[in-house]
Amino acid sequence: MQSFMQTLVFGIFAGAIYGIAAMGLALVFGVLKILNIAHGELVMLGGYVGFWAFSTLGWDPFLSLIIVIPAIFIVGLILDRIVYRHIVRQLGEEKIKNSLLVSFGLGLVLQNLAQALFTGDERSVQVSYAGEGLNIYGVLLPWTRLATLGIVLIVTLALHFFLRKTYPGKAILATAEDYESAELAGINIGRVYMMTFALGAALAAIAGQFVTFTYSLAPSIGMTWTLKAMIVIVLAGTGSILGALPAGLLLGVVEAMAGAYLAQTYKEVAGLVIFLFVLIVRPQGLFVRK
Amino acid sequence: MKTTSRQLPSFKPSRRWLTPGAIAVLLAFAVVFPQQVAKDNVWNLFFLMCLGIAMGQSWNMLGGFAGQTSLGHAAFFGIGAIITRVLWFHGTPFFLALIVGGVAAATFAMIIGAPTFRLRGAYFAIGTLAVAEVLRITIAQNQPYISTMPGSMIAEYNLPSRYWLALGLAIATTGAAYMLLRSRWSLGILGVREDEEAAQATGVHVLRHKLLALGLSAVFMGLAGGVFAFKQISYYPEAPFFPTFTFEALMIAYIGGLGTVSGPVIGGIFFVVVRERLAANLTDVHQVIFGALFVVIVLLLPGGLLEIWDRSKRLALRVIRR
Amino acid sequence: MPDFLNVDAINVAHGDIQALWDVSLEVGQGEIVALIGPNGAGKTTLMRAIAGLHPLKSGTVLLRDKALHALPAHRIVEQGVIMVPEGRRLFGGLTVMDNLELGAYSKRAREVRANTLELVFELFPLLAERRTQRANTMSGGQQQMLAVGRALMGVPKLLMLDEPSLGLGPLVVENIFETVRQMNQQGVTIFLVEQNARQALELAHRAYILEQGRIVGTGLGDELLRDDRVQQAYLGICPAPEE
Ligand SMILES: Nc1ncnc2c1ncn2[C@@H]1O[C@H](COP(=O)(O)OP(=O)(O)OP(=O)(O)O)[C@@H](O)[C@H]1O
Ligand SMILES: [Mg+2]
Repeated sequence: MQSFMQTLVFGIFAGAIYGIAAMGLALVFGVLKILNIAHGELVMLGGYVGFWAFSTLGWDPFLSLIIVIPAIFIVGLILDRIVYRHIVRQLGEEKIKNSLLVSFGLGLVLQNLAQALFTGDERSVQVSYAGEGLNIYGVLLPWTRLATLGIVLIVTLALHFFLRKTYPGKAILATAEDYESAELAGINIGRVYMMTFALGAALAAIAGQFVTFTYSLAPSIGMTWTLKAMIVIVLAGTGSILGALPAGLLLGVVEAMAGAYLAQTYKEVAGLVIFLFVLIVRPQGLFVRK
Repeated sequence: MKTTSRQLPSFKPSRRWLTPGAIAVLLAFAVVFPQQVAKDNVWNLFFLMCLGIAMGQSWNMLGGFAGQTSLGHAAFFGIGAIITRVLWFHGTPFFLALIVGGVAAATFAMIIGAPTFRLRGAYFAIGTLAVAEVLRITIAQNQPYISTMPGSMIAEYNLPSRYWLALGLAIATTGAAYMLLRSRWSLGILGVREDEEAAQATGVHVLRHKLLALGLSAVFMGLAGGVFAFKQISYYPEAPFFPTFTFEALMIAYIGGLGTVSGPVIGGIFFVVVRERLAANLTDVHQVIFGALFVVIVLLLPGGLLEIWDRSKRLALRVIRR
Repeated sequence: MPDFLNVDAINVAHGDIQALWDVSLEVGQGEIVALIGPNGAGKTTLMRAIAGLHPLKSGTVLLRDKALHALPAHRIVEQGVIMVPEGRRLFGGLTVMDNLELGAYSKRAREVRANTLELVFELFPLLAERRTQRANTMSGGQQQMLAVGRALMGVPKLLMLDEPSLGLGPLVVENIFETVRQMNQQGVTIFLVEQNARQALELAHRAYILEQGRIVGTGLGDELLRDDRVQQAYLGICPAPEE
């Protein structure tokens, strides 16, 4: 059995991936005010783009991020245009309900499309340096995991800088706060919604790329990732986009601990139970932004 | 009164199509046609239609009548399936096993209903989705092996018996939906859908009405799961918990016409016929087409096929009057 | 005849309920025009319709020859028609400076942003001091200044204010009205909705009266101040008791 420290460290590494996947979902929820059940399918698609770059071009998975990100960003733009834009215009409770239904259907479309294109076989990327890493007092820190964590931190900081310090970023925050005021300030909110959705998709894709060499890839993994991302944003408290990172790390650690000290079978369930618990004990508090 | 449901066209509890004549024709067809043709693929097709109708009616009781969007109906289906199958395989008479499966699904629904109904709208939807996934993953990890009927059962397996059972279930579920709408509960349930606060203010016990709709809905979804377990020779125990079953149920309700009794019947028939056609010709992408169709319906045609019917009727009348 | 903003026979509904019935009005260049009327008359609806936040059922809104009703809200801003919404509606989680910068989001305004910012800080020195404060932590009066400042950052040709005095003390109101007068002297056309009819009529060159979604009267500001019916309905002056 691995040491407590090792469990903790692997929990953190896993949590970094949850964090970045959830950040995309939180961004879309915070700005467009829709819940995208197909978010996990974007993770899955990102993974397939990375897998394709690895298997046909032989690219290192970290290098192929430079095509994974723009590819899924474009997928995001397209999905916004043909689907989500129509929901975003609706109002109130109806809007969020319809977003759930529509994205549930869309998730199925993407999953089956992937099934048809890539078959249902499990895929994964094996890098030559997979087993290597740092060994600190018997705690193993694989290079791949360290790099993952590093990229997640960089992306989080970059997103923070983008949203807080740049004009387009502030337009996104302004639209999230009050879309009518944003329009009255001259912001094209249709464009903001489209860019935000695509940005959320790109964040999902980064997570997907990490999945290819950390876990394995199959068309059906989407729902699992959607739920993970939802758990994380409920833990983070909505309205908090960057809070997804610490919340993701927390989920990663909780799962790792449950897997190590309860039973492997409870690993997944632990997160969902926490999720339901938080949702029920503080339903409005965490999901509604004042 | 504030109307929160722009999405639901102002359907009165609908008895359209359920005229005695239409029912009689439909029933006669359902009874006579498969027997006349007597081919496996027809028995199968009709079985699937009836199962689809039952699932659609079930989802509609909660999602259409009471306005509570569940994304976790697969949980009830799965519970019905697993309980029925395990009891049946262990020597319980099938009908008893089936009933216990349905009751188990409803019991589970009641247990999770009280807390999840504290969640409104979207939160209820993702709460139910999470519950269903918890169950699916737990089952997948604890029951990883495929479940196959014992040889003795396969020996006496016959398809028509499966169909008659499914037909019975479809009739019972449709009847229950009809009676629910004619009962004294219906006003409260529809009130909860239209405006929960207003309903509360006029003295409707909101939680009780939601639980009633959920309980009924879960019983029938559980029974549908039991019928599924009765039909399939072998499958992974996890299978009936897949989100696809939730999706099929809500899709059928939406295609036909949400919040109506005849909607799921029309939706079930349409959905299964089209799906089987597509599945035969376009094995890989038929789910893609269905997903896309669903997206279009929610966005453009929230009243489903019944709305098309209504609109064309109105259009025709207008043309005639001119 | 004024040839700047022309609202012609517009009809606007909230769902099934019609809020404006064939409303027509005109605002000439350089004018201050006030719109008064009781609660629920449709004043906000009218302003939102002009600003492009609410679709028209019928009718036209022209700025010179440009059809505003065919444009989305952010393109109307680009035309120089800028609205300060009822209740201020700031970006509460962002700083004062962010709010001001966002006010100059349109391309036309962005190019002259630095200059406009100086001007706004001259008008409201307090905003310069508070530039890093979060908007929702400011007092109501300060927030209203910021709301007006944010609108000015968009370099308005036509500035529309929806009840700028709402919930504010007399001193702040005086300050805001004074700013409006100053802006007008610098060539900005003003369209003002006010509950505070006396002050609005004193400030405005002309005014319209909106009741139950219909324009029921119009006239010069001081004319209306002396009008019996207006005095009775909006200025709280009772007619001399009859013997
Ligand atoms: N979003 C909405 N949905 C439905 N009805 C609305 C909506 N907004 C306004 N109304 C209705 O339209 C009418 C006009 O409202 P509006 O806000 O334009 O009035 P107002 O003159 O600005 O009133 P006040 O002086 O109180 O601000 C009212 O009857 C109001 O109830
Ligand atoms: Mg108003």
